[in-house]
Amino acid sequence: MHEERCNISYDILEISLEKIESLLGSDYGISKRAIGLLLLQGDDDIASLVRSKEAVDFYAKIEGIVKEARAHYHEPLAYIIALRRQEETNRIVSGAVEASPKTKLSFREKLSRIMINPITGLPILLLILYYGLYKFVGRFGAGIVVDFIEKNIFEKNINPWITRIFSAIIPVHMLRDLFVGEYGVITLGIRYAVALILPIVTTFFIAFAIIEDTGYLPRLALLIDRLFKKIGLTGRAVIPMVLGLGCDTMATMVTRTLPTKRERIIATILLALAIPCSAQLGVILSLLEGNFHGLWIWGGIVGLVFLLIGFLSSMILPGDAPSFYMEIPPLRFPKLSNVFVKTYTRVQWYFTEVFPMFILASLLIWVGQLSGLFNASVKILEYPIRWMGLPKEAAVAFLFGFFRRDYGAAGLYDIKKAGLFNGNQLVVACVTLTLFLPCIAQFLMNVKERGAKTGVAISVFILFFSFSVGFAVNLIFNLLKVHL
Amino acid sequence: MRKITIVGSPNVGKSLLFNRLTGAYVTVSNYPGTTVEVSRGKTRIGAEEFEVIDTPGMYSLLPISEEERVARDMLIDEKPSVVIHIIDAKNVERMLPLTLQLIEAGLPVVLVLNIMDEAERIGMKIDLRHLERELRVPVVATVSTTGRGIDILKGKVEEYARRKM
Repeated sequence: MHEERCNISYDILEISLEKIESLLGSDYGISKRAIGLLLLQGDDDIASLVRSKEAVDFYAKIEGIVKEARAHYHEPLAYIIALRRQEETNRIVSGAVEASPKTKLSFREKLSRIMINPITGLPILLLILYYGLYKFVGRFGAGIVVDFIEKNIFEKNINPWITRIFSAIIPVHMLRDLFVGEYGVITLGIRYAVALILPIVTTFFIAFAIIEDTGYLPRLALLIDRLFKKIGLTGRAVIPMVLGLGCDTMATMVTRTLPTKRERIIATILLALAIPCSAQLGVILSLLEGNFHGLWIWGGIVGLVFLLIGFLSSMILPGDAPSFYMEIPPLRFPKLSNVFVKTYTRVQWYFTEVFPMFILASLLIWVGQLSGLFNASVKILEYPIRWMGLPKEAAVAFLFGFFRRDYGAAGLYDIKKAGLFNGNQLVVACVTLTLFLPCIAQFLMNVKERGAKTGVAISVFILFFSFSVGFAVNLIFNLLKVHL
Repeated sequence: MRKITIVGSPNVGKSLLFNRLTGAYVTVSNYPGTTVEVSRGKTRIGAEEFEVIDTPGMYSLLPISEEERVARDMLIDEKPSVVIHIIDAKNVERMLPLTLQLIEAGLPVVLVLNIMDEAERIGMKIDLRHLERELRVPVVATVSTTGRGIDILKGKVEEYARRKM
């Protein structure tokens, strides 16, 4: 009996398909059978394509056939068709593949499971973050290497030398400032790009390339999946988030891989708000270096904001909670050539993007200073800066932050070096600037990917939100009499 | 110029194969979903120059995510002369349904079983002739990280493209 019913159902599917095929008159680039199958599976894009290409009454007939076929089955047609295809596949594979899988779990497989299991996986994650990010990027890249390039190369050699040359050839003070002034193209723009950002980004990309090449990231995605589901995202979203630590702009583009619109919007907000990019992260790690409690508080607050905003936006944004499906590639030992090529191409890409921006920023500041706009903006920014209990010099860093997050963080670096921050202020500044506006490139990407309205709304929200958090953190510090 | 389109699920080596064929560099990662934009390059196979198109990962002709939609649109709009469906040899069972769909769609498919070394390491033996007979399309085994099988693939593509002229 059962057998026979299956046959009948099969015929209905096949007959419907044949009928649809005979009604399709246009050329679709792929076979009519494939178009018919997609229609039966409820593909909206193909349905509207067919509607636009076929005569109205033909399309109505096709719709009728699809509806009728659907009514014959309990399960969705997509499921039945997929099942049938899998049966055919299994038949072919059983004839072609001879498998003698080893019964014992290999070392890789064991290691892989350890990484995914929450109890063992979280300590491994913390170890990777501590040694890969904090020690290698924060202490080595942003600390030792930056110090060396800043002090030994720029401050001792390049800056005085360049200043002398420009003093000699450009007698006009105003014009000279463009190149070697306080915010000059060479003394600030190029110094930030080469002495600060380049070593930080390079060390970060090295660490990232190694982690990436081992195949750890998809395992991290599985590990974090549970947490992410609570805030309306799937573990699949880990990849844009982790990529965001490299560059949020690039990561915003990668949110396209997320299946639902809701996930894409939540991920875009989180990337713009709570995920610092590599250069920013490196500078912040080096700012907080030696202030261990401060580092924890910074990490805690940013993490909390991430969860809170993620959770709230998943409540507000309509849509189904997503389900998670991902390929897990094998773990393997990172290849030196891969790591090198990846680091090289990323650094090159990043640097060519950041370098003109930094020079442009110096130019704009110069124009702004001449027209008085710069000082006026700094004056306005000094209000929220003061409310957060920060020294007014920090206003300049936040103004830099409008251009790029890493530029802003680099501004803080100079202020700390001048000894203008105490421990509390440093943490407040770091938290606020981490949450602060997406850089211009990321803003443009948000607009491109999510539309102008959403893009602008995200930025306005973040502007107010980041200052509010800075204000609140400072208030709490004062109430609890915390001195870092 | 005639076109070769590379399709397959995420993380089976599409971008690496693209790099092997064109000599260009596309970011290659050991995790799924890195290719969001479509990359294009050129390759010379035999006497003919082809345009090679790398697509975002797809699991099925019925798209779920935007990247899958992009990949499918490429197949429909570009009218490629050869569609290279690249799969992970270890997971042939899970990936062959897309091959069937591509063949069903009337596309000129060449099936590539990639990551063959890892499949062999876990003790799988795959009869390529048998697959070719069943599917009636060319089947090639490759290891795109080392370049094994790439020349054979080029040969098959050349032969196939000549027949489809």
